[in-house]
Amino acid sequence: MNGPYLTRRLLYGIPLVLGVTFISFLLMVYFGPDKTYELIGKNPTAQQIIEVRHALGYDRPFLLRYGDYLKELITLDLGISDSTGEPVSVILRRTLPVSITLVVPGFILGNLLGLGLGLLAAWYRGKWLDKLVMSASVVGMSISFLVIIIGLQILLCTPYGLNMFPVRGWQVHDPGSYFYYVAVPTLALILVTLGYNTRFYRAVMADEIERDHIRTLRAYGASPTELLFKHVLKNSLIPVLTRIMFSVPFVLISGSLLLESYFGIPGVGLVTFNAITSGDQPILKAVVGLTGVLFVVALTINDMLYSVVDPRIAKS
Amino acid sequence: MTRDTWQRLKCDRYGMTGLIIVAIFALIAVCVWSGLLGQGWSEVNGNRFESISANHWFGTNRLGQDILQRMLFGTATAFEVGLLVTVCSTILGTVLGGLAGWYSHGWLDEIILWFKGVLDSIPFYLFAAAIAFALQSSPWAMHLAMIITFWTTTARIIRGEVMRIKEREFIEAARAIGQPGLKTVFRHVLPNTFHILLVQGTIVFVAAINTEVILSFLGLGIHDGVSWGLMLAESSQEVLGGHFGNFIAAGTSLFLLLMGFNLLADALQDALDTRRAPG
Repeated sequence: MNGPYLTRRLLYGIPLVLGVTFISFLLMVYFGPDKTYELIGKNPTAQQIIEVRHALGYDRPFLLRYGDYLKELITLDLGISDSTGEPVSVILRRTLPVSITLVVPGFILGNLLGLGLGLLAAWYRGKWLDKLVMSASVVGMSISFLVIIIGLQILLCTPYGLNMFPVRGWQVHDPGSYFYYVAVPTLALILVTLGYNTRFYRAVMADEIERDHIRTLRAYGASPTELLFKHVLKNSLIPVLTRIMFSVPFVLISGSLLLESYFGIPGVGLVTFNAITSGDQPILKAVVGLTGVLFVVALTINDMLYSVVDPRIAKS
Repeated sequence: MTRDTWQRLKCDRYGMTGLIIVAIFALIAVCVWSGLLGQGWSEVNGNRFESISANHWFGTNRLGQDILQRMLFGTATAFEVGLLVTVCSTILGTVLGGLAGWYSHGWLDEIILWFKGVLDSIPFYLFAAAIAFALQSSPWAMHLAMIITFWTTTARIIRGEVMRIKEREFIEAARAIGQPGLKTVFRHVLPNTFHILLVQGTIVFVAAINTEVILSFLGLGIHDGVSWGLMLAESSQEVLGGHFGNFIAAGTSLFLLLMGFNLLADALQDALDTRRAPG
């Protein structure tokens, strides 16, 4: 362990957290919609306007208001939703598990399949199998997430196709019903990420396979499984882990936002989608601020883990 | 682009296919802009959900508008979004990346890197929602959100390239004859990153078109006019009733254009790859 390096990484995270929260504050609280006139009756007096603005905290100095926002995020006391009247923290606590159970299978399978196909293509580099896999990934990269979702829905959930899965909804109470509702969203998530994943993993693996020590091992007759799992995969762990860490927010947020609003699944994505359409400020500012902060925290932990895996990183 | 690059690109079958696809769509967009195609996209000239016929190649939508006209007009929208976002974010990324690279490890570099780190930490669709929220659903919120976030990758690549270029002899020579730093950056360093910008530009273009579709579906995208994203959003209500016109027209065009750009980007990357040994 390298103490000074870890401290430096931690300190580097602080300006990022401040930046992320400041931008969310600026866009959604400071420049956000003025709620004064929604809360006030007709023909208000100047005194009434001042009172309401004071109650909303609009008359407080800029930096103090930013401080209030930070305090809300730290204490998770996120206010009350404009549209449902429920505390935002309660809503998030209820919906987050749904989103996680929704995207986790697709996320894991998408990465495993991408890793497998990438390895296969890199191993047979330049052969027809490589070309086939690579052409298929360009095709996959060219299909929009929305087209994949609608297409799968037609193929699997309607009488125009196989009609095997529900069109929308989320009534999960046992493993069977979980599979019933999660299958189509999972397939969509795999398809939308597979092209990018395969390409990325192939590039990483191809670099690794070309290294001198792998060539030597190959010449000495090491078996392909031993080579791939013991040497290639192990040495390319860092780019692979970075990829996975960086794609977590993308998959969790973008995946759940689209899948949940399309299939009507009651997770964070649907709550956020509804907040976007109805302009529900307390929910939006909480979701944006919290995901930004969580991302920075994950990034910092990620960097700190590297220095443990590979001590050379801390020295450079 | 040098002649050499063009020769290499011409030999790349996939790249040329991509270029032809992009050129066809660009031609459609130009025809729409000059008033030759797709002008009837908002006219009601048929019945509700007419099927495919000689008059309506992709049928009509639920208002009785011709889907083909809307698809053609959507091509122009895609190019408008793509071009605007690509040009603005590339300029921003080049300037900021160039400055960060030239003054690397100085305070300006630190600020630019910090700003990039902050923007990269906010999930994009949420950022787009926040911008739309702050601008009270202005029609430019979507473009702005993409421009503000898409420059960061370009800047990172340009920064690295500038840090490499500034060690070379001709830059040392410019410095030796006393040319001011900023002038050197813009006149001698950045023009040498053109090949990178070309590849990065096509990638940004793809991202912009792709993102427009999602944002339009989420209600954060195009408000006035028609786009493939809006057509797909419409189709999501219609496919359950067995009306596939919007889905097929917009989905196919979107796929073809993205595929064209992806093939082109790959081919450009190969053709412009300076690391490749000559011959």
